[in-house]
Amino acid sequence: MSDSDTEYQDHHEGTSDATPGGYDDARRPGEALFAVLLVVASFALLWNAYGISGFRALSAPGSVPMATAAIMVITSAIVLFRTLRLPKVTSESLSRDILPMTVIVLALMLVAYGVLLRPLGFLPTSALFLIGAVKFLSHRSWLFTLTVSLGSLALIWVVFRIVFTVLMPAGIMPEAEFMQFLRDLFSGGTN
Amino acid sequence: MDMILSFLTVFTQPELLLLVGLGTFAGVYVGAIPGLSVTMAVSILISFTFSWDVYPAISLMIGIYMGGVYGGSRTAILLNIPGAPSAIATAMDGYPMAKRGEAGTAIGVTTVMSFFGGFIGILVLALAAPAVSSFALSFQPRDYMLLAVLGILLVGSLSTGSLLKGIFAGAFGIAIGAVGMDPLTYTPRFTFDLPLLRGGISFIAVMIGMFGVSEALLQLHNVNTAAVRQKITRIVPSWSTIRKHLPLSLQTSSIGVVIGALPGTGGDIAALMAYDHAKRVTKNPERPFGEGAIEGLVAPETANNAAVGGAFIPMLTLGIPGDAVTAIMIGALYIHGLNPGPMLMIDRPEMFGFIVGALISANFFMLIFGLTGIRLFTKIVEMPRSVLIPLIMLLSIVGAYAVNNSITDVYWMLGFGVLGYFMRLYGYPLGPVILGVILSRLLDENWRRAIISEREDLGRFFGGIFSSPLSLVLFAAVILVFVTQTPIWSWFKRKVFGKSTPQKDAQ
Repeated sequence: MSDSDTEYQDHHEGTSDATPGGYDDARRPGEALFAVLLVVASFALLWNAYGISGFRALSAPGSVPMATAAIMVITSAIVLFRTLRLPKVTSESLSRDILPMTVIVLALMLVAYGVLLRPLGFLPTSALFLIGAVKFLSHRSWLFTLTVSLGSLALIWVVFRIVFTVLMPAGIMPEAEFMQFLRDLFSGGTN
Repeated sequence: MDMILSFLTVFTQPELLLLVGLGTFAGVYVGAIPGLSVTMAVSILISFTFSWDVYPAISLMIGIYMGGVYGGSRTAILLNIPGAPSAIATAMDGYPMAKRGEAGTAIGVTTVMSFFGGFIGILVLALAAPAVSSFALSFQPRDYMLLAVLGILLVGSLSTGSLLKGIFAGAFGIAIGAVGMDPLTYTPRFTFDLPLLRGGISFIAVMIGMFGVSEALLQLHNVNTAAVRQKITRIVPSWSTIRKHLPLSLQTSSIGVVIGALPGTGGDIAALMAYDHAKRVTKNPERPFGEGAIEGLVAPETANNAAVGGAFIPMLTLGIPGDAVTAIMIGALYIHGLNPGPMLMIDRPEMFGFIVGALISANFFMLIFGLTGIRLFTKIVEMPRSVLIPLIMLLSIVGAYAVNNSITDVYWMLGFGVLGYFMRLYGYPLGPVILGVILSRLLDENWRRAIISEREDLGRFFGGIFSSPLSLVLFAAVILVFVTQTPIWSWFKRKVFGKSTPQKDAQ
């Protein structure tokens, strides 16, 4: 069994709610900061919830939001307190176990996708994204990258555009004309 | 009569049967491919099928659900990587069996036992749901509120994680669900004066982010894990093997149904609890647990598929999801103009019959696909993650965009994806978040109704709880969840039971 297998078995990655990530007796890199951020965010929510209707009535629109925000403040504060008391995990580092380069790069590519989707349109943006991501992750040849990304994009487009009739931004692609061409082609065949 | 006719709907319409079959087939692979989960697939699908009719959409989702819960076991056995969360326990004995060259037997037993468990789950659903539903008519608003709270708490308390983080996650979900204009008084809530937030946050964006993108980002950690090939011989297990484990499978199926039917807790928790149970009751396993005991396959696999039927019980009768996947299906039913809850069984009894029929056909498809197509299977599972992960991300974006044709939803989805990524890494469960989002409105409305009917008097509210047996039981259950987390509980258990009897007490 290789090392990566055993790592998977430890379930510190949180793929399931039955065995969430993290450790009971140690704190991962960045865990304390995350806990602090949650406390701060919870306070902001509580402040905002108080502004909804204050303590006017138990049935007021702000009561449930205020109660939930209060619960968030309390639980996140206890979690923070407990996290801070735990020793650090010695075998992990932020750049390797929490935020590896691949995760940061892919996350940035996703944001770029969101920015480009409207101006460029679905097909060009997706093609750029897939080619970039597959090349970056697989380190395989350009032939492999282009075949796999463009092939699967074509499949996705056919399935979602035609089977699920999902409309994506056309952008710079003459998609409507192409669809009309396909329609003519098929109706031509049946007549 | 109507119910029986509607039960046959799926069998009389080839199109629906085909969709269930297609869904189950896809589900087996979605479940089997590490990095693709059923929750992810169903949350992405909901946005693609919302222009369809209800029946085809639900058929497809049910197929994926049933197939996916089973499919995870294959990779667990062959690669020691659980393809889906519900198969984590399966890897513990399945992989050692495969290493001994018994992968075929392991897959065969798993398939038949999943079918068996699935069937028990559906049977209980068919028999219990109508009764629960008529009982549910007597539920008071406060009972709904208590049930919602209980569901959100249960995930945190029955898993190995921290209850505090579970409660935080649940409260966070309720807060997300409350964003926007209050439906009763039209007061803005959690909008921070941004027009963007007035319409609320699309729960589909939250789901796809939490279960699609965050999982994909997490999978980047082991993008280069290579697959190991196993030789597979005989698949169909012998009758004597099946018969020998029938008593155990009945017990673990019951665990599965109960855990599935509890609001919020699904197949993954059921499988782990069943595995624990099998370890305790099996006196003389042929091989020790962890080294390839067949009991260690039977228990989790019957339980996780039995949990599917169980999870539909609270969803169809109370409108409270049994697990994360049914939470998403409630969302799908809302989109199609249906209102899950006790009135669904009265207003649309055909819906119930249809779902039972679809589940049964999905179960049969699962058996068929499970015992065939192994060769194709090993090919597909070996698809490199460096291709798979970008594709999941692309589908997540398309899914988030497609519901409202809105770029904003894509940003929400990405935001929740990144947040979910960190929550997973630091041990915050995501199930309660989704449960909170789905139950937010139910909780809020029922609380306000309950407290208004008690004239804004908390004393009278608690008086009401103590005067109704049902409310009292629910209230006691909520308290019990907290008590089980304290040292008092373990002291009490030692005192009463002599030695520790883990987990079962929490039921």
